[in-house]
Amino acid sequence: MLEIKNLKASINNKDILKGLNITIKPGELHAIMGPNGSGKSTLANVLSGKNGYEISGELKYQGENLKEIPIEERAQKGIFLAFQYPTEIPGVNTNNFLKTSLNKVKKAKGEKELDTLSFLKLLKEKSSELGIDEKMLSRQLNVGFSGGEKKKNEILQMKILDPNLTILDETDSGLDIDALKTIADGVNSSRDKKKSFLVITHYQRLLNYINPDFVHVLSDGKIIKSGCMELAEELEKKGYKKIN
Amino acid sequence: MIENFKINSSEIDKIKKISKEERNFRINNLNFFNEKGFPNKRQEDWKFSDLREIVQKNFKKLNVNKVNSKVKKINLIKDFDHNYIEVVNGELKSSNFKHEEKNKIKIKNFKNDNFLQESKDNPLICLNHALSDKGYHIEIEENYKFKKALIIYNLFTEDLKENILNSRNKIKIGKSSELHTIDLVINDSKYKFINNVYENIILENNAVYKNICIQNEKNDGYFHKFSKNKLASKSKYSSFIFPSGSKFNKLDLEFNLEGEDSECNLQSASFLNKDDHQEIKTKMNHLAPSCKSYQKVKNVLSSYGKGVYQGKIYVKDIAQKTNAYQLSKALLLSDNSEFNSKPELEIYADDVKCSHGATSGNVDEDSIYYLMTRGLNRKESVKLLIDGFLSEVVDMIKSNSIKKFVRSKLQGQIHGY
Repeated sequence: MLEIKNLKASINNKDILKGLNITIKPGELHAIMGPNGSGKSTLANVLSGKNGYEISGELKYQGENLKEIPIEERAQKGIFLAFQYPTEIPGVNTNNFLKTSLNKVKKAKGEKELDTLSFLKLLKEKSSELGIDEKMLSRQLNVGFSGGEKKKNEILQMKILDPNLTILDETDSGLDIDALKTIADGVNSSRDKKKSFLVITHYQRLLNYINPDFVHVLSDGKIIKSGCMELAEELEKKGYKKIN
Repeated sequence: MIENFKINSSEIDKIKKISKEERNFRINNLNFFNEKGFPNKRQEDWKFSDLREIVQKNFKKLNVNKVNSKVKKINLIKDFDHNYIEVVNGELKSSNFKHEEKNKIKIKNFKNDNFLQESKDNPLICLNHALSDKGYHIEIEENYKFKKALIIYNLFTEDLKENILNSRNKIKIGKSSELHTIDLVINDSKYKFINNVYENIILENNAVYKNICIQNEKNDGYFHKFSKNKLASKSKYSSFIFPSGSKFNKLDLEFNLEGEDSECNLQSASFLNKDDHQEIKTKMNHLAPSCKSYQKVKNVLSSYGKGVYQGKIYVKDIAQKTNAYQLSKALLLSDNSEFNSKPELEIYADDVKCSHGATSGNVDEDSIYYLMTRGLNRKESVKLLIDGFLSEVVDMIKSNSIKKFVRSKLQGQIHGY
């Protein structure tokens, strides 16, 4: 699904990723943990195609060179990034935005676009699965949403767009236990043999609910250790400083 | 090039049936216009819109002659039930108040009976006073609420070419009455012309007036409107204006809150593209205690579009407990677009709440990025953001069918971007 070899990324002449390697196969869920400033969000940004980074190394998604694919096509080809801080967009209705987005992705895949009625049916189904109040969806996109609502809205978008590769950028930060469970349920119910996940987090909390196949520790732009769930537990006990 | 545009007083003699007093009034105003000419940037009110230069650049000649336009059938809007009047090149042609009690409404061609010299500041007002001989006059009796909106179809015919039209309109709403109007501009002329309007709106005690102006097709018209609005005690005025697409458009709006507890709400959303030049100038005069005013002006500007907002709030010494607010926001899409904002507060009372704000900036890159990660390309993302920026104003319209109508008009424009 995703193959990253010796990835280096810098912004404004500041090196952030310094030779990162990771391979994610279909059906796998990888967790990346790391201290502040280790390059976690940069990795998420680079994968989604954000401008402004100098990039070198190999970046392959489903066998294609990801560097040559523009942002919107990455989304259309099934890469989804759940933002750490979802952007507030005044004046844009959440419902309409979701429909536009879904139909763009469907069109690119050569599938039939949904009319308003069937879209609303899908939306109702997915939002009730996640326990999202439908009133939220008639509001302006992320405007005045609480932290939890914003994150839930990201997961709802993931459910609707049904991507192949989902990147969660600290989706668990700042959430209460109930919201955390909603997010975990959303992820767990989407997992299957074909879909892959890259979960970026600070804490073990979310991982307790979603059982990662692999856990990696990112420090100073490199993965310094890889393992399974035990590694996350060890980190929680010892902290990042003692892991080498 | 018309360097020195002057109008011969014989034009006034062409206007039939006028008293000596009226003739003098017209001649005085004409002399004033001839002396001053079109306003230029040396006048503070025209600092950002040098009309003299604009006229000299774009007109080889200007015709003050009356136009005898053939009236074609206007395609009425089918989106919602409404009353209507048809105004062709400024002249009232027909009216239809099928949803209302006819004896509550008076409508006729406008006839001026006020010959007080009121303005020497704006030569265009003088020009209008000198030459206007058409327009409508609507009067609503007391205690009558309109059941359906009134659409004013303002048609400009295809034979207009280098004409300058002057018309004068008046709407008076009686005590505790309510009227909703939609001003719609339909421009069939492919040529340049100037339309100069003087408007007078009077709200008596407890009257309610809601108005929506839509002018949104790309056209070569040059528009100027001076609007004088009087609000008596506890009256409520709200105006939503969606002007765009004209080569030149200046709306000079004066609101006089003369009665206690009167309220005025003015909101505007424009998309200015390809050399459009538009100015909204307001003067909100708080002349009595406990009045409220609210102004919000939003502009999106693209390739050589130019927008101006000059908003003044004046609070008289006796106008305590005034609550006045004005906000202007501009979104600039290209380096060669321009937005000028000049907020002014002049306050002589000490117990008031007045505030103003102005912002202008580019489209937020983070927002574009967010939308693109959801599968929209850059252009689609920007369009969605423009739509969102302007929709905030449209969303304030209460009636759903009218809101839908206005939105589709506005979106039609953005899609051309």
